[in-house]
Parts: sequence; structure tokens; C-alpha cells
Amino acid sequence: MTASHSRLFGVLLGAALAFSATAHAETIFRMDDSAPGEADPDKGIDYVGSVLAFNIYDALLIPGQHGAPVQPHIATAWKIDGDTYTFTLRPDVKFHSGNMLTADDVVFSFKRMMALGKGNSSLFAGRVAEVTAPDARTVVFKLSGTYAPFLGALVRLPILDAKTVMAHKAAGSDPQMGDYGQAYLSAHDAGTGAYSIVSHVPESETNLVKFDGYFLGVAKSAPDKVRLRYGLQASTVRELMASGQQDMTSQWLPPEVMRVLAARKDVHLLNDYGSGIFFLHMNTQKPPLDDVNCRLALTYAFDYATALKMVKITDTVFTGFPANGPISHGAFGYDPSLPNYARDMTKAKDYLAKCKYTSPDQRAIDIAWITEVPSEERVALLMKADFDPLGFKTTIKGMPWTLYTQQVTNPASTPALSEVYIDAATPDPDSLLYNMYSSKVAATWESASHLKDDQVDALLEQGRTESDTAKRQDIYRKLVARLRDVAPAIFAYEENQVFAGLNTFQLPSLSDDNARFSAEEYGLQFRLIEMAAH
Amino acid sequence: MPPLLRTLLSRLVASVLVLAGVSVLMFLIARVIPGDPARIALGPNATPAQVDALRHERHLDAPLPVQYWEYVRELGHGDFGTSLYSNRPVRTDLEQYLPASLELIAVAALLMVLLGLPAGVLSARFRGSAPDVAVRAAALLAIATPAFVWGVMLQLLFAYVLRLFPIEGQLGANLTPPQAVTGFLVIDATLAGDWRVLLDALRHLVLPALALAMAGIGQTARLTRASMVEVYGTPFIEMARAYGFQERRIANRYAFRPALVPVLTVLGLDIAALLGNAFLVETVFGWPGVSRYGVEVILHKDLDAIMGTVLVISAGFLIANLAVDLLVAWVNPRIRLAGERA
Repeated sequence: MTASHSRLFGVLLGAALAFSATAHAETIFRMDDSAPGEADPDKGIDYVGSVLAFNIYDALLIPGQHGAPVQPHIATAWKIDGDTYTFTLRPDVKFHSGNMLTADDVVFSFKRMMALGKGNSSLFAGRVAEVTAPDARTVVFKLSGTYAPFLGALVRLPILDAKTVMAHKAAGSDPQMGDYGQAYLSAHDAGTGAYSIVSHVPESETNLVKFDGYFLGVAKSAPDKVRLRYGLQASTVRELMASGQQDMTSQWLPPEVMRVLAARKDVHLLNDYGSGIFFLHMNTQKPPLDDVNCRLALTYAFDYATALKMVKITDTVFTGFPANGPISHGAFGYDPSLPNYARDMTKAKDYLAKCKYTSPDQRAIDIAWITEVPSEERVALLMKADFDPLGFKTTIKGMPWTLYTQQVTNPASTPALSEVYIDAATPDPDSLLYNMYSSKVAATWESASHLKDDQVDALLEQGRTESDTAKRQDIYRKLVARLRDVAPAIFAYEENQVFAGLNTFQLPSLSDDNARFSAEEYGLQFRLIEMAAH
Repeated sequence: MPPLLRTLLSRLVASVLVLAGVSVLMFLIARVIPGDPARIALGPNATPAQVDALRHERHLDAPLPVQYWEYVRELGHGDFGTSLYSNRPVRTDLEQYLPASLELIAVAALLMVLLGLPAGVLSARFRGSAPDVAVRAAALLAIATPAFVWGVMLQLLFAYVLRLFPIEGQLGANLTPPQAVTGFLVIDATLAGDWRVLLDALRHLVLPALALAMAGIGQTARLTRASMVEVYGTPFIEMARAYGFQERRIANRYAFRPALVPVLTVLGLDIAALLGNAFLVETVFGWPGVSRYGVEVILHKDLDAIMGTVLVISAGFLIANLAVDLLVAWVNPRIRLAGERA
């Protein structure tokens, strides 16, 4: 070999090594969210808890795409016989521990969720009489009565590795089950998901690593690692993004910070929507809003266009969409034939004329905004500007969340108007509307309008008992129409959760309408991220 | 019994009584905060039966004296209860977050001593001249500017613009923390001999510790200066000057030590107070400390976690107070000897 050949060989070898190093360079996806991150999938109820659960664990069904409410996942098929649901499971699903998923794990997971009584267990509470596993690939749920939202609720039943959980159980109140592995699962996982936990500190961060044995496979372009940081300040996130040390923000940044990031050339915006509405609850049990005409007067006096301008990020992106009722566009039960709400002072005055409370003193209303969400104060001021000239006497009061949650437990102490963002827990509208408007539910911040309406109650019950999809769709459309008539809330706008991301990655499930899922939070699937390094 | 030991024991007894008082007070205050902790923890979708079950499990449906007794009984077994906010034992949370805060405070305290004391000495020694004016102006600025503003400014300048230090966090994303032995990242990295992690952890500590220490540095400098100026006016300093001792020797050897007594007292309490006041700095720098945790649990009306956090912070304050008293006695022979004579 001559000297020139040696040099050429050296150059080629170097290039090959460099290429090899590039090809195997680990990719890491970094984002932030609100604290705390809840690692136990049977406990988390907020956005980040759901994101962790959806990425680390799998369920029998997942939210659907292209208009379907749900789609098969661990369960490949199911049969409904009256109140009995029989699911056939995939044979090739492996837990992070290496154990194969069986029907016993599904039964264990359901029992664990109900025994803990936290997280999304309320979706099943009192609904399931028995869960059995006739064989390793079959699970049978016998419901205690007809419950049509059951399939939608199943997307919130994460399946855990029973052997791993029980191997790590600590002492607990149950002699046999101990603590159901709660201590272990507060920092580790027992899932089948595309990512597994490397380390987890609820107040600080979660580090995840790609699971090579994922039953659906994970694309090479998906990040090898994911780092979720919790509770970062907006100013800190802005600096991290600008210096390329973070790939994606949470959706909780104030609009002004989001606007600054959106203006950068190396940043694109992503969004998640379909489940949430910004509700301005009206207390239907206290004068003057116990009169539906007064409520409708406010409904038409509210300046929806200005409310949306307040959450503008760019000329085309807002953290809200116009709403036509309590169900978001694209969600099951949404009625596209209904017009979006818009300010109409003529209608407002007409309804006010019919209201039995005639003087401004009789029409005194208090508007409550949550002090932990400063942007709500602006909406309260907008309401004051809209309603006072109409003939209402408004007072604005900020109150901490804990105080609000206490006040709304009683109609007498519930503010006349209060602002709350509420999301559906599942792709089924029942998970949103029943807890808000059924007269049977406990008084909470979701049901702060304290509505008592026989027609609404009847439609909500029909929605639960009707199993035919088309008929259910019709029921929810009727329900929305009725809710528009009785106006328990001003449906200010549909929630649009906007994230800023560096151009170093793409995530179609949060940017392409054809790739979106039927439930918020599920779209943030780390396995579907396409990192630019590949 | 030696007088110092007797003092120590009586202070310890007093500290336990103070802690008991704090626990009663906080127990009542935490329950006055509006909101149903069980409902807040379980969310609006939880059924009334589920909420009632949690209330019962946590004794929230019992009369207040029974609730307090249950809490104290469990505390006696080292059980701080379970956090409704993090869904973990409060003890686990505190063990996780307290070391991070203590590490931050230790470095902040070090900075307060290493920068504040020399600045005060310098200022007093050159009283009325340029260094004095500069130190006084800088001290005033350090005290007047809130810690979180320092945090954001230091972050912008040294982390974002100059890229000398990390923007946030306790450790870089590319590093794996060593196995927790003490819970203190710096100590654990040292024990594990993981110098990369140690260096990175120290780099992460600089800016938040400096932001936290700024007011203390200014305060220490001003107090040291004032105290030394007073000492400079005493006859024994004049005598030292009359003997022809060098000014540097007078400052460092004769004026500094007596001036240190009031400074140490205030400095000690300032450092102890950092544990409760570090919230904003921990938030700005994404520092996983107990101060930030404390505020979050209050906002979530997490009763056991509020109690646990307050008790730990109070205990920290009392220990620091005790340590300061002992240190002052050691520094000032008059106090020590007065105790012995008594």
C-alpha cells in the first residue's frame, strides 16, 4: 500500500467512523410542563399525568382518528352482548420487564385502579360488576347496567404488569395486595409503552428512554430519550428555547411569551384541541341568573371576538376557536349546523327586556376569576365592559382556586359568573357534560352553574344508555341545542392548546388535522415525533 | 454540668416546645385555608363516595382534636403522612427536595460570608473613600433588588448571553446522577468519584446560589462595616494605632473579631431564613427544592405536606439559631466566660 493509498484509507475510515457516530448519535427530546409529573397512571388527572400515562402505558383502546371516537390497540376486536363486553387481546405485547401481557394483567390493572379510587377511576365507579379473564387473550367486562360511554372510558385504563407491580409491593392496608405497588410506581413504571422511565422526580423532571420491544415498533426518527422538566418559569423556558436547549414548550406559557417565540424563524407552533371549552359558568340558582332570559342576555352581550383576540398568538393562531356550544368541533356530538356564538346586542336587549329582574340593582352579579390564572382577569374586565352598559351591575373578584372550589359546592355561595377551562377526560362527550349538567352529580367547579333541567337530565341519561352510535350522536346534538336554550354558561371559546417547538422536530399528531386523535393529550405521543437528526 | 452544655440543653427543650407550638398553629391554619383537600386531589369527576372514602382514610371527617392526635401519633413513628399533591409519602418528598435546597443554601451562605464580610471590612477600613462608597452603593443595590430579579438578570447575562453557566436545573440532561447516598448531589458525586457530574452540579449551583445570596451579601457587608466603624472608635484601637500597628493588622486582627459578633447573629438568622425564602429563586432556576414544593402544597391545600414542610423549615431555623448562639459564644469570650461565671 502506497502512502497516498494509506492516506485515502485513513480518510475513508475517518469518514465511515464519523458517519457511524452520526447515525448512532442519541437524540433527546426536551420539553417542559406543569408540576408535578405523576408517574402512577392510576393517579394522574392533569395534562402531564395523561401524557406520561399515554406514553409509558397502553390501553385496550385508544382515541380514534379520522372521526372515529376510539380504535383498537391492545384489544384487536371486541364483542358487545347486552351489558357484557368481550375483548380479544394482541398476543405480542411485551412489558418493559420482558413479561408478556396477558388478560390477567388487564384484570389486575382494573382492580388496582378501582382499589386506589383515584385518577380516572370515577369513569368506571359503579359501572362494572365484574372483570374476568377466561383465557390469556380474552377479557370480559360485565357492566352493572347499560353504559354507552364505556368504550371511550377504556382509553383511560392503563394496563400494568401485574407481576412487576406485585414483586415491588410494599406494606399497605390490603393484606394481600399491600400498597398495590404505589411506592414503586411513584418513580418507576410497569408499562408496555413506547417509552419507559429512567428517572422521575415529580417536582422536577422525568427522563424516559425508547423501548425497543414496543409491540407497534418505534420509528428510528423518534427520539431515543425524552426529558420532561416541570414547573419552569416562562422566562426560563423562553431562554431555553432561544438557546436551543429545549425542543418544545408546554401550552401554559402566557400569550405574550408565546408570541415572542412564534416570531422566531427556528420555531413552529403545534396545537392540541378537541376536548376543552372555556366556560363562563352562570349560577342558575341565584338571582338574577336564575332567570334564563337574563342568562341569554349575557350570552349575546359577551364579546366573543374580543375574547379571542386576547388569546391571539399570530394572525392565524389563537389559543381558542369560536364555539357553538359545549362540544368542540370535530368531537363526537358536535353539531356543525349550529352557528358559532357572536355578540348581538339587539338579541341581548330583547332577552333582557323579558328578564324578571328589571333594575340594575336587581341585576347585580359578581364575576369570579381564578387568581392563579392571571389572563382570566382580562376576561372578567371584558365581561364588565360588556354587561354594565346593558344594565347589569357587575363586581369583579379574584379568588384562589382552593377558595373557588369550596364556594361552588353550594349554590348560595357560588359566584354568579365564574371562569373555568374544562376538558373531557375521554373521547366521549359524556365525560364532559354529565359531570357539568346532570342534576345528580355533586357540586364541583365543573358543575358551578348548578343546572336543574329535566330535559337536560333526560338527554344525559339517554346518552349513557343508547348504544347505537348514530342515535347517540343525535342525542348529544339535541342536548347541545337544549343547553344553548337554557344557557347554563357562556361558551366563550373552544380551547386550543398551543405549543412552540423548535424546527428540529415535527409531530404530525399535533400539527396535521389528518393525523390527530379524538382526545386531547393523546396527540403528544413521543413515538410519533420525527427528530431532524434522522 | 458545664454552663455551655446547660444552655444547649435548655435551648433544645425550648426548641421542641416551639416546634410543638408551630405544629398546632400550622395544623389550624392549614385547615382554615378554604377548599376540600380530598375533592381537590381527586378532581371534579370523582364520585361523592370516592371523595368520602379519601376523607375517611385521611381522618378529614374526624373532629379537629382527633385529626391532630392522629397526625402527632403518626409523626411519632416518623410518618409525615401522604401528600395529596404528589401522591407520595411526605417524608419521601422531603427527603428528595430538602437536600437540593440545603445544597443551594450552603453555597449561598458561603458566598454571603466570602463576599459580604471582606466587602464590609474593606468599606470600614477605607471609610469615606471610593471603595467605601462603591461597597455601600453595591450593598444597597443588592439588598433593594428582589432575589428573583437577580435570578432573571444573572440568568440572562451569564447563562443566555455569555453561556458561562446553565440556564436552569440541577444537572445537565446528558448526565446521569450518581446513586443517592446522602441525597446531596455534590456529595454523592464526590463519593462516587464522578467528577464530571460534580463539576456540572457545581456549575448549576453558581447562579441560583448567587441570586439567593445577593441580599445577604449586601446585608453582611453593611453590618460588618457599621460594626467595624463602631469598633474603630473604641480606645483599644486608638491604642493599637498609638503603638504603630499597621492598619491592615488592626483591621484584620483587632477590629474584625469584636465586630463579628452582631454580624454573625444576623447572618445566621439570614441564612436560616433562606430555607423559607428560596421559593422564587428555585422557581426561576427550576431548582427541585423544598421551598418551591412548600408553596405548591399550600396552593393545593395538601394538609400533611404543608405540616411536614413547615415543621422541617422551622426545625432548620431553630437549629441554625442554636448554632449561631454557640458560634457567637465561641467568638466572644465575654459571653462564654459570663456563662461560666454564672
